[in-house]
Amino acid sequence: MDTYQRLVRIIVDEHKLPRETLRPDARLDEVGIDSLAVMELLFQVEEEFGIQIPNDQVKLETIDDVVRYVDSLRAQQAPAMPQRAPS
Amino acid sequence: MRRVAVTGIGLVSPLGNSCAALLESLTAARSGIRRLEGERYARLAHPIAAPAAAEPSVATEPAKLRMMDRSTRFALDASAQALSQAGLEPGAFDGTRVGVFIGTGMGGAQSTDDGYHTLYAEQSDRIQPFSVLLSMNNAAASWIGLEYGFSGPNLTFSTACSSSAAAIGEAALRIATGAADVMLAGGAEAPLCLGSMKAWEAIRTVALPDPQDPGASCKPFSKDRSGMVLGEGAAILVLEAWDAARARGAPILAEIAGYGLTTDISHPTHPSVAGQARAMRAALEAAGIAPGAVDYINAHGTGTQVNDAVETAAIKQVFGEGAYGIPVSSTKSLHGHLLGAAGALEFAIAILAMNAGFVPPTAHLRRPDPECDLDYVPNAARAHGTIGTVMSNSFAFGGTSVALLGRRTV
Repeated sequence: MDTYQRLVRIIVDEHKLPRETLRPDARLDEVGIDSLAVMELLFQVEEEFGIQIPNDQVKLETIDDVVRYVDSLRAQQAPAMPQRAPS
Repeated sequence: MRRVAVTGIGLVSPLGNSCAALLESLTAARSGIRRLEGERYARLAHPIAAPAAAEPSVATEPAKLRMMDRSTRFALDASAQALSQAGLEPGAFDGTRVGVFIGTGMGGAQSTDDGYHTLYAEQSDRIQPFSVLLSMNNAAASWIGLEYGFSGPNLTFSTACSSSAAAIGEAALRIATGAADVMLAGGAEAPLCLGSMKAWEAIRTVALPDPQDPGASCKPFSKDRSGMVLGEGAAILVLEAWDAARARGAPILAEIAGYGLTTDISHPTHPSVAGQARAMRAALEAAGIAPGAVDYINAHGTGTQVNDAVETAAIKQVFGEGAYGIPVSSTKSLHGHLLGAAGALEFAIAILAMNAGFVPPTAHLRRPDPECDLDYVPNAARAHGTIGTVMSNSFAFGGTSVALLGRRTV
């Protein structure tokens, strides 16, 4: 599955939003992902893709914006950063 | 100043998640205190507490639920019950005239504990995005306002064990002075997480388990009392301007007759007789009634050696010889100490018992203490059909002392 498909799976499974409304150019706020839900989505995306998303505010308006943002972080952070310090 | 009516009571408590269930437990003197099982409590010296009778069941969207700590969920459940009883339909009132005052001692304690566990125990930086929303002390009050469309005054009071008693008194004042027409007032507390329980253990106020029966570990006014037992839950009252409540045919459960708010500055934790007496006198003066008019006192009665002796002496100071004729009970013996939510739960109990015609018991009172010689309604509830005025006491670490008076209206 490519980035877009994995993102759609999170939105459908975790946010319980209908798959039919989702397109790459769909606006997040129009498909039911408000500013708070975006934070949850990014948290889930970190887990899914093994990346760290900086806490800085970033402008993400469409699903495609998220896809491109994730892909750029994956490229910057490859190989995947460890999620936790060894215990 | 307008008169203030109580038109709804909702509660989630160790004695039941409804007024009816709570009354049944009180009349049966059935304790909600028990031993806590499970690994998360293994590090407690004495894993005894009073958990809520059932888990929260807030009817809202999952996305919102994820932003709500356990204490907030309790508050919403209790609010739903109270509003249902009051018969206030959403949209049938002006939301700008309805406010929410909530008392809590420890706010989103469980969520805070979870966050610190992630950070320090798991050594992970992956803190829940909604941690601030989950932990903030004003969360319960805010969510009640958001869910029901109440945009009147919305405040959170945090004065330790008197938080929700203060919230109720302050809410009544807002109605009395015309700043609001309806107020949801009460408290919520969910402190049964390891961090909070360890902290209470460390300050050496927590009871030793009763060797025969963990449910009997909180023994207010008894010679063998050894401390308090933590509890969780929420109690919310709907307060309304008296005339408007009458006009719309609302059920009137009680009138808020008086509110005394004073500060005991003798010591951060050790109460003084004078300090506690002052709060009770202040409530009586605010109500314009004589001590002799009080028919039942729901004591703060934590079960600590110190509070119970001091409170007994304070009651005698205020009520004189008449103190011996007033039933005084600590229902903490059955439901534990709900900290910030204690005042609201206990005032609600006083009102419910008044209307049901009985005085609740002080349970587990088996060894009389010469320093505590009042009528504490030992061990069994007692029919008492002539209760017209009830007092509920809440005294706190830090000194904020509250006494509330409720008057029967039927």
